[in-house]
Amino acid sequence: MARKLSASCIDLHSPFCPCILAETNHCILCSHLKGQSTCDCNWAGVCILYEKYWQPKICTDEKPTVRIEVETTISRRELIATNTHLLGFTVNESLAAELGKTGSFVFLKQPSDPEFFHFPVGVMKVNGRMVEVVIEDVGPKSKRLLTGGEQIVVRGPYYNGILGQPWIDNITCGTIILVVGGMGQGPALAIGTKLLANQNNVIAIIAPGKTEKIFIGQELRELGAMVYAVDSLRRSGMGILGRLFEAGEKIDLVVSTGPDEQHYGVIAAMQCASVNIPMAATNNATMCCGEGICGSCQREAVDNRTLRMCKVQTDFSQLAT
Amino acid sequence: MIKVVVAGGGWSGCAAALAAAKAGAQVLVLERTDMLLGTGLVGGIFRNNGRYTAAEEAIAMGGGDLFVAMDANVRHKGISFPGHHHASFYDVCSMEPLVKRVLQNYGIDIRTQARVVDVQKYAKTIQAVILDNGEVIPGDVFVDTTGTAGPMGNCLKYGNGCAMCILRCPTFGPRLSLCAKAQVKEFMGQKTDGSFGAMSGSCKLNKESLSLELRGKLAKEGAVVLPVPPNLIKSGTLGKKACSQYALPEYAANLVLIDTGHVKLMTSYFPLNDLRTLPGLENARYEDPYGGGVGNSVRYMGIAPCNNNLKVDGVDNLFCAGEKFGVLVGHTEAIVTGLVAGNNAVRHSLDMQYLTVPRVLATGDYISFVKEQMISEAGLRLRYTFSGSVYFERMKAIGLYVIDRAEIADRVEKAGLTDIYSRCLV
Repeated sequence: MARKLSASCIDLHSPFCPCILAETNHCILCSHLKGQSTCDCNWAGVCILYEKYWQPKICTDEKPTVRIEVETTISRRELIATNTHLLGFTVNESLAAELGKTGSFVFLKQPSDPEFFHFPVGVMKVNGRMVEVVIEDVGPKSKRLLTGGEQIVVRGPYYNGILGQPWIDNITCGTIILVVGGMGQGPALAIGTKLLANQNNVIAIIAPGKTEKIFIGQELRELGAMVYAVDSLRRSGMGILGRLFEAGEKIDLVVSTGPDEQHYGVIAAMQCASVNIPMAATNNATMCCGEGICGSCQREAVDNRTLRMCKVQTDFSQLAT
Repeated sequence: MIKVVVAGGGWSGCAAALAAAKAGAQVLVLERTDMLLGTGLVGGIFRNNGRYTAAEEAIAMGGGDLFVAMDANVRHKGISFPGHHHASFYDVCSMEPLVKRVLQNYGIDIRTQARVVDVQKYAKTIQAVILDNGEVIPGDVFVDTTGTAGPMGNCLKYGNGCAMCILRCPTFGPRLSLCAKAQVKEFMGQKTDGSFGAMSGSCKLNKESLSLELRGKLAKEGAVVLPVPPNLIKSGTLGKKACSQYALPEYAANLVLIDTGHVKLMTSYFPLNDLRTLPGLENARYEDPYGGGVGNSVRYMGIAPCNNNLKVDGVDNLFCAGEKFGVLVGHTEAIVTGLVAGNNAVRHSLDMQYLTVPRVLATGDYISFVKEQMISEAGLRLRYTFSGSVYFERMKAIGLYVIDRAEIADRVEKAGLTDIYSRCLV
């Protein structure tokens, strides 16, 4: 657990590596594929340059290794709060299996809309081939999707929805505090399910935030989590968090799903209680392409590196504010 | 107590650790894999040609423990094979535990599977090295003996790809250079055609796969020369080799086999099906899982700029040895540079004058000569070893090549360096 997340790429060892960035000498890990003359990666795994070497040559007139788009029909639609909609749709088995991974998300749009209408949505639940997501009606892209027809285009799978994803995947029989705010409830259900399946003790603090409704509390309780439902994280949730830290019970991991302000609040609470434990957090970077190309998700780290947040795994606290 | 941290447990790292411990420091060796000796695990040839002089000099200077250990573990000695005389072959299968015990007897702390991935530097001083598990290891002075071979990406870009060699990068993680992490600009050795790197010069066959007759001959004579059929001779491959002392026309026209525990085949690689057309090798196979029919490790990928005291330029408390020091070949060369680096690491902490081996000794002349040569691009295309090629020619020409022990000891004494490595400086 103490192992630090060096800035590694979430797509390593996936069918999407080496990606377009390797074609253009912008690979996140391999120094050769960044245009340097010698090896300087810190990755003790299958060499990316080797993968590139063995990968069949990509023809310029064909699409390189990017995610596929599938067209499907919305099979479940539910208004769960004023501006919040739950959508369910079926995809093929292989995509559904991939979306079961922690931190997975998809891009959605209407079939008739141009490419730039695609927007990222975290997966809340996968049941067989049925995928459920929660969407907040806030901007032009979500408005188009929610008011258009029943046909939608799903592009995926993308994996980097959670910073600290390896911590969540590898922890067993531990105690985890899950801090959930507003739209963070979608990914929180997926994370909670994963953690509880690994015999962990999960304490969830959930606030409705801007969605004005807690819609995963009951389900988490039924799965075996201990749930504190609060009106506001700022007013009462952080107090509970602080008391949990101070109670002296050994906490192995904190997971914060919600806006960046909430992540900073959790960090402040940890500092206040003088605890130093790993923290996983939802990746809230604005994403447009998801492939490391467009640059909309770029964030600066404390060591001045620029990170493409759609691909790079890092500790949330390492991001510059 | 002075704490010396040696990154890399190959022959030069072992020698540096030994010299530092003998000089009175507390020494920690960090090794990426689970065994010491690095490429020395497949080496074996020593005391051939001018290496005899260098080994005896190290013994006379009080740093001969590793040579004594090799002598005690030889399979063959006094062997001649094309271009080489009075060679000894240590047993590569049993050498490593012996060296480990020698180091441990000096109180040296050896940590295996401890890969250095970064340094903590303040101004021009390294304060600590960081391991891949995040552990921070502080020290007073550091020695970079991480070598210059591999990892896989370099072997692919500059060679024929990963041959699953003894470096075992996929298992233990890639080699990382301390110098590079300390922002020292490294340079690369070149092949004769100017491209970067060079391929290791020998591969290893499984002994049991050879014919009984050949095995018997190897056990008796130590080395066997097999003529290569004319249709298989490709002398163009010689320029790609790291070991220029074996880049002689004899080695293109003949296959030289040497008994070092495994069977060492003195060529970088040789396609298996071609190899099997030679008498006695009909059923030959390379040592598992190594792909000796296809390629070999590529080296000289990161040589550190340093001076004749082996202190790395631009960092106050970093020394280097072995291939990190220059385009050198062989473990005798690694050990003699390692001894200087280890001793000077302790001298650095004590603010003493550095040990510079004078040019009247083969070791001193070798270090100075290599440094002078590597300034030029032509010099970067040559390889330097006591056992052949340019430097052995020079040794013979200026009278440094001697195989009389008493005379070597006398020279060391005249230079005032007798037992210099066994004196405690602290």
